[in-house]
Amino acid sequence: MAKINLKQLWFEFKKGITVENPTFGLVLGLCPTLAVSTSVQNAVGMGIAATFVLLGSNMIIAAIRNLVPNEIRIPCYIVVIATFVTIVELFMKAYSPALSKALGIFVPLIVVNCIVLGRAEAFANKNTVAASFFDALGMGIGFTMALTIIASIRELIGSGTLMGFLVAKNYDPMLMMIMSPGALLTLGLLIGFVNWRRILKKKKLILKTGCCSSEILKGE
Amino acid sequence: MIRLGLILMVICLAASLVLAVTYKITSPAIEMQSIAQEKEALKEILPQADEFVQKQEGRFSYYECLKNKNIIGYVLKTKAAGYGGDINLLAGIDAQGVIQAIEVLSHQETPGLGSRITEIKQGDKAPWFLEQFKGKLAPGLKLSDIQTISGATISSKAVLGSIKKDAEEFLALKKG
Repeated sequence: MAKINLKQLWFEFKKGITVENPTFGLVLGLCPTLAVSTSVQNAVGMGIAATFVLLGSNMIIAAIRNLVPNEIRIPCYIVVIATFVTIVELFMKAYSPALSKALGIFVPLIVVNCIVLGRAEAFANKNTVAASFFDALGMGIGFTMALTIIASIRELIGSGTLMGFLVAKNYDPMLMMIMSPGALLTLGLLIGFVNWRRILKKKKLILKTGCCSSEILKGE
Repeated sequence: MIRLGLILMVICLAASLVLAVTYKITSPAIEMQSIAQEKEALKEILPQADEFVQKQEGRFSYYECLKNKNIIGYVLKTKAAGYGGDINLLAGIDAQGVIQAIEVLSHQETPGLGSRITEIKQGDKAPWFLEQFKGKLAPGLKLSDIQTISGATISSKAVLGSIKKDAEEFLALKKG
């Protein structure tokens, strides 16, 4: 047993929120991102559901990674992921019917959410259960945060509310923001903003050190 | 080759075991939710009624809607064969077969197309598609009586067809 490296675990956790944020960094799982970010409530619900699935599937897949032959790994991942999604769906139907109605088809669609399968193939497949847990947690929180940010903007402009509470009185909501074009515009501008910040940061580093080592390029 | 199949089978068995347990735990709560939802829908369909009595006759499961102990209408539970599966409907009709209101309990229609059977337009309170049925005579309902949803003809036809057919048969049954 390799000694658990706390620093490495912290890195696995952090990267999902920052550098490898599934929405702003990896640009994965856009279908649910665009579809359910119409209100903060939906976004948080979807984020939590996806985080739970990620945690479960990542840990199980990491645990069975040595038992599963390479040839059938994808069907195995799908079975594991689908199982967790069904669990989430059943619990949501039983204890939070309003949320389950609002998210509708997008809960079962977590099965094919590329973040979940992506982490299984790219991470859990090669790492320990503990590392996979933190990877999933980071990715899940990163995804939830990204969704919440997009949803806050869209809900605020598109319906003048936040978390369902009326924020602006006498405000004529800009309907387009809750509809599909609003999702694409918000996401595009946010990704642009994140990338702009990243480039600025990199430039500063280069100016400071006066060189352009591979380390700077890698560790933005 | 056989080894691969066996491993996959073991994983699937474990998954189905976990799912069976989860289903067992959640199914009473889900059942209760759907009953509560149905009760809520009944009140929306016939707000004038003060009592709903669940009955079963032939293949029909329905509610008798009473006001001061007089029957003012029926709420039929019907199932329409939609594009993505069954569309579970509650259709409220009076004794003559005039549609009072229709509620969709659950459906699996394509999001953005068939799912628009429950679409509520900005500023409206009820889905526009279902509102169209109000006040129309259920027996002999024609496709030209309503505006179908563009791109979702199957879903539109399914809702209309099942209400027409079930209402006709139900009224015939009632008349004896």
